[in-house]
Amino acid sequence: MLWLLLALPIPSLAGIEKTSGVPPSLLPRYRSPGSNSASWSCLDGSKSIPWSAVNDDYCDCPDGSDEPGTGACPNGTSYCRNEGHIGSLIPSTRVGDGLCEPECCDGSDERPGLCLNVCKEVGEAYQKQQEAERKVRRTGSKIRSLYIAHAQKEKKRLESQIAAAEAEITVREKEVARLKDLADTTESLSEAAIQHKKESPLYKSLIEHSLALKSLQREYKKHLEREKALGDILDALRLGYNPNYQDMAVLEAVRGWEALAGLPHINDVRKEEGSTEDEGAVAEQQEETLGEGEWSAAKLDKELDSLLKSDYETLLIEHDKHLGAPAGGSLLFNLTAYIPDVFLPQYLAFRNTLVSWLETFGIAKGINDDSADTSAARKTYQDAEKALQSAQKDLDKAQNELERLYEPEWYGSEGEWKKLDGTCLSKDAGEYTYEICLFGEAKQKPNKGGSFQSLGKFTHWNNAPGVEPGSPEYYTKQYYERGSKCWNGPMRSVTVLTSCGTENVLLTVAEPEKCEYHITMTSPALCLPLDDSEAHRDEL
Amino acid sequence: MRALSSFLLLTIVPAAFAVKSQDFKTCAQAAFCRRGRALSARAQESQAWKSPYSVDPSSVAVSPEQASFVAAVKSSLYPNIKFSLDVRVHDDGVVRVRMDEVDGLRKRYDEAASWALTAEPTISPDVKWAVSKKDVRATYGAKNDIEVVVSYDPLTVILYRGGKAQVVLNGRGLLHMEHFRTKATGEEKAPVDAPADDSQVVMQVNNRAWFEGEEEDGFWEEKFGSWTDSKPKGPESLSIDINFPNHGHVYGIPQHATRLDLPTTTGENAHFSDPYRLYNADVFEYLADSPMSLYGSIPFMHAHSAESTVAIFNAVGSETWIDVGHPSATSTETHWISESGILDVFIMPGPTPADVFAQYTRLTGTPALPAHWALAYHQCRWNYISSDDVRDVQRRFDAEDMPVDVFWLDIEYAEEHKYFIWDKKTFPDPVDMMHDVEAIGRKMVVIIDPHLKRTDDYPVYKEAKELGVLVKSPGGENNYEGWCWSGSSAWIDFFNPSSWDWWKSLFITEQGDKWSWTESTVDTYIWNDMNEPSIFNGPEISMPRDNVHHGGWEHRDIHNINGVLLHNLTSQALMSRTDPPRRPFVLTRSFYAGSQRFGAMWTGDNLGTWEHMAVGVKMVLVNNIGGFSFAGSDVGGFFGNPEPEMLVRWYGVGIFSPFFRAHAHIDTKRREPYLLDEPYKSILRSLLRLRYSLLPVWYTAFRETSVTGLPVLRPHWVVFPKDEGGFSLDDQYFLGSSGLLVKPITDKGVTETSIYLPEDQVYYDYYSYEAYRGASKGKNVTVPAALDRVPFLVRGGSIVPTRERPRRSSMLMKRDPFTLRVALDTSGAAAGELYLDDGETFSHRDGKFIWRKFVASKQHKDLRIKSVDLAAQRPGEAVDGVALSNYNGANDFAKDIATVRVERVVVFGLSTKPKSVQVGGKELYWEYTPGVASDTKKQGTASVLVIKDPGVGVSSDWEIAVQV
Repeated sequence: MLWLLLALPIPSLAGIEKTSGVPPSLLPRYRSPGSNSASWSCLDGSKSIPWSAVNDDYCDCPDGSDEPGTGACPNGTSYCRNEGHIGSLIPSTRVGDGLCEPECCDGSDERPGLCLNVCKEVGEAYQKQQEAERKVRRTGSKIRSLYIAHAQKEKKRLESQIAAAEAEITVREKEVARLKDLADTTESLSEAAIQHKKESPLYKSLIEHSLALKSLQREYKKHLEREKALGDILDALRLGYNPNYQDMAVLEAVRGWEALAGLPHINDVRKEEGSTEDEGAVAEQQEETLGEGEWSAAKLDKELDSLLKSDYETLLIEHDKHLGAPAGGSLLFNLTAYIPDVFLPQYLAFRNTLVSWLETFGIAKGINDDSADTSAARKTYQDAEKALQSAQKDLDKAQNELERLYEPEWYGSEGEWKKLDGTCLSKDAGEYTYEICLFGEAKQKPNKGGSFQSLGKFTHWNNAPGVEPGSPEYYTKQYYERGSKCWNGPMRSVTVLTSCGTENVLLTVAEPEKCEYHITMTSPALCLPLDDSEAHRDEL
Repeated sequence: MRALSSFLLLTIVPAAFAVKSQDFKTCAQAAFCRRGRALSARAQESQAWKSPYSVDPSSVAVSPEQASFVAAVKSSLYPNIKFSLDVRVHDDGVVRVRMDEVDGLRKRYDEAASWALTAEPTISPDVKWAVSKKDVRATYGAKNDIEVVVSYDPLTVILYRGGKAQVVLNGRGLLHMEHFRTKATGEEKAPVDAPADDSQVVMQVNNRAWFEGEEEDGFWEEKFGSWTDSKPKGPESLSIDINFPNHGHVYGIPQHATRLDLPTTTGENAHFSDPYRLYNADVFEYLADSPMSLYGSIPFMHAHSAESTVAIFNAVGSETWIDVGHPSATSTETHWISESGILDVFIMPGPTPADVFAQYTRLTGTPALPAHWALAYHQCRWNYISSDDVRDVQRRFDAEDMPVDVFWLDIEYAEEHKYFIWDKKTFPDPVDMMHDVEAIGRKMVVIIDPHLKRTDDYPVYKEAKELGVLVKSPGGENNYEGWCWSGSSAWIDFFNPSSWDWWKSLFITEQGDKWSWTESTVDTYIWNDMNEPSIFNGPEISMPRDNVHHGGWEHRDIHNINGVLLHNLTSQALMSRTDPPRRPFVLTRSFYAGSQRFGAMWTGDNLGTWEHMAVGVKMVLVNNIGGFSFAGSDVGGFFGNPEPEMLVRWYGVGIFSPFFRAHAHIDTKRREPYLLDEPYKSILRSLLRLRYSLLPVWYTAFRETSVTGLPVLRPHWVVFPKDEGGFSLDDQYFLGSSGLLVKPITDKGVTETSIYLPEDQVYYDYYSYEAYRGASKGKNVTVPAALDRVPFLVRGGSIVPTRERPRRSSMLMKRDPFTLRVALDTSGAAAGELYLDDGETFSHRDGKFIWRKFVASKQHKDLRIKSVDLAAQRPGEAVDGVALSNYNGANDFAKDIATVRVERVVVFGLSTKPKSVQVGGKELYWEYTPGVASDTKKQGTASVLVIKDPGVGVSSDWEIAVQV
């Protein structure tokens, strides 16, 4: 029958060496056990198979180790020696697929004759490419070392700034303490101190004067009453005497009283009935001439009582304050003292807005209005404290900068990124220009004009699992996040993919997902110096 | 990117994740559908309903040698209006019934069938029509058991088999062909067009109201939303009832998102209140269970019972609504209401599903045999944004050793969405990019839509305008202008033959004297989207119906056919750019009957929900039985960000879809398989590898459908037409004739599932070799369905050829050896097929292929497994498009793969350990693991015999002897 003639067995890949595709390190495991039928163990020890089953283009071992030189096992690897170049391991799935793998320049991944051995060319091209890369790295790493030097300078500068600030703070702290003490003492004197102050001759004299004045007032009031009673008697006389009697003593008494009391003669008055008291008062005032600073009778009448009710202890303190300094603003303004520095800018902005509203509605006084109840001592103290806070802030900032300078999460363990802090790079991508201010903000600006979109602010480096902060890979990605929100989309964000290059430059901009941008950039900051072996190769 | 996404978002805003139903008409909003349903309602209520249409007996003219007849038909409502009837029987028994208005004011559109059919069908030479006083009848068929009876009054057409009515046209008297008329002015409105005598004038009653209703409902103008359809031709709708008195199940009429066994739209407890609608439309975020129309229309319906299967193809191109009801559990009534066109119905007599598929695909063509790579995995996204992005995606697939064959570019590659024109800012080196992809044996597919940006610096628009091949606005004077991705756009009118050669010339990759796409390669393939057509500012997101196409036809006449023309011509264009031609690949969104000849389709913009995943399986099945097997739905869901479990399950659906493409909307997160975390990533890798290992099965199934029309995915009723238990199953299906039974998981949190076994046969779990025994009355078995596996079984009696070496692309598997899984049936036998050719050219039509049959059979107690040459046995049925008279086993292709081996044969279900396994007297290396035998009723792990490297070629004859 025809089919019997055709049924010639088809040899599986004949002539494949047992060690074909075995990496040098594993060659000892692929030694003949003696004969083809003798058993050989899969590398994971899971199975024993005849030695003839190794590299017979049929997968026997669960770990794929019996077929290093064929594509029979889905999970194996195969080693290409690539003599003249560098040996490499490729997945078994690439063996015998009809494609000459670039990783396998000796062509050993395919059946003989399919792929040329191009290891010489590949090796040379590889060397060239390596050389080019090394060149970039050499140049780049030199620039990087300048960055590192910059960081060192920064370190020194910051350290001296910190030292100066610390010194200043020490001085200011003392000053603040002194002024605070002064202000506080005024406000919190003890009873004993008050008693002591009351021993002051001035205070004693003041009390004497006060007591005397009170006594005088008492006597004065007595006299006024007597005078009034006398006046009443005389008035009754004046109104009740009979002028026709021509008793001259009586007439003299009436006339004398009228003159003293400033009253018109009774005989004239009777024609026109009316009050005469006002006229009398006017006459009285006109008559009186006061010495400078002396009180008028009216004032005495009205104000002496309240004067005599004065709290002399308060006066005593006020007196002391009077000798001290006038004070600053209201509580509202003094809140600054309690606000943590980080929130201060926001707070100040908020406060200014709030105050302007409150002023508008007349609720609060302007920031510059001196508060009446704050003493000069407090104001001096508060000014000093502000100066201290400012110095503290400067110090904190410098310390923060110094900490970040060599912190892997910030400017790198060698401070190599510090130099680029605030450096702005931009890339014109046709419709938009993209700008990144490193460690600051990323923006998208329409080239046809219009307002820019924030693409986010620097948040972190490559924090993917398994990436060690400080490793070169860590610095290959920078994230700028929480930019302006996309319509019906996420907040814009940028991943900056960085590689070693001799210049700080943005290469490409892409938006692989909506409003999530990928920007590639090169920077010398990522150019690690060549290590000894690399440098050595360089010289070859 | 921003502009168009915001345009899209504008449409999203009103209701997130819900179809904008108000954008699309219900039957009540379409005047002709309203009229059609009202007609049906009046018939329902009437006690003495009789169709006004009748055949004039004196006009019947039979042409005996042609086995067809023509006759005049008249309507008692309009005695002066003339209709013609043409009934013929094709040589395969298909009956074609045509009716048209003759000598009318205008001509009805009669070209729908010419776009759908591959050729004018041959009339049967054997059928003899017998004319009597009341009917014309013909009897034919192999057993002479088919009878077609055309009754005169009223006009009905009934197809009988064995005396039982199978298909009845106009049985309910709903046939109505609205004739052309002039718009009546006020006083002429009285519907009396018969010569008036005095008494009639006096009566003034509407003597047609019993049939047509009192009002002229939407005859001359129709508003929908802000649009007005000017309807210059007036009413011209067509209504026909088609009943299946002995069939309780109907399937087909894609495309709708619903069950396979079509739920009812009429009668008590109707599942849907509206009829099924066929009106190709770009429905944004469509519902997962709805009779609403979608992107494509195939007016082809199967009616099925345990006794027989029949089908009808209603060749109409205008909007069509279909009511479905079951007056009883064993009968079906349908009512088809179309806006315009002639009556042109093909009745397929069956009687088996396979017969129906043969009959239907003889009319409209079998699915083209796709290029082999097109059955592999397609990776798409809106959008890969640059040539470097494409390279990076390829690099990452390769780094993860995940196979992929095709990278796709959506609309953003094109500058200002001027298709063909690369945006050089992002794709500066398109040809280099394609070469980088092609270097790994891969292809690229690039989108080309039918709307052209209206700017003269766009050569495609400029040339189309100058050629005068653009669709015209109402009146036919000016080029229509609408809004689409490219902004203000024009649409190519592919009904204009002048556009054909011009369109094909655009795809030529070599510089000629005219503009062509030189910045592409002959391995660049095409995706035609938006070809319903989708028009953002048009009525129902499409084209105004009163737009004018070539020949003066209105858009309403050809709407459902519109999409297939672009698909057809692009497919031709890809073939004509090389000599010899290579198989084209064109994906289309819109389709019609016949689209299967031109490439693949997908189910459009689905949602990333479990419901859409599940209905996607059913929609792909419906498309398969609609003659269009090369179908799939977007893996992952177009809209949304699927959780990892959902994405994994979606790949499980995708690997068992004929067309397997992942796609995602521009607003979604990236979700390429390599981006997932473990264990999902490894599961996806193994699912992708499973698809690739089964490519021989897929390709063999596609050969079969390309020749026989039998679908690639087969629902139960197709494979077991007598098993009632499977008639409504649409969540499990068979893959070709391979014996693989698949049930993809489309629910969350599933660990096991129930699979229905339709017969007393053993089925083996593909992963675990667990043997499940079915029952003759049908039986449900529970199979494991953990996330890392898609439940699928190998039917006992099958031999499944696979290629198990993972490669980066299918092209790289060309020389890989085969594994044969021999799943013994209860009698200890099995058989399977393998078809292979070069996968890219048409050389298979020159006999360059292999078509093998593997047979395992018992000889005494021994088992013989042999490979025989099916091509030599049945050369005439081997390949599509040509009936070879002989086959040369030593053809170039066979020689090319002469060294391709069978590296492993795995036999399930042997009853005992073999004594020896030999080829040609030589003992082979083999391992046997005892287990359940195929002939026992036990459930448990089957016995497995693994034969290592039998040393036989896949293209040669051989025999392995297993001595028990």
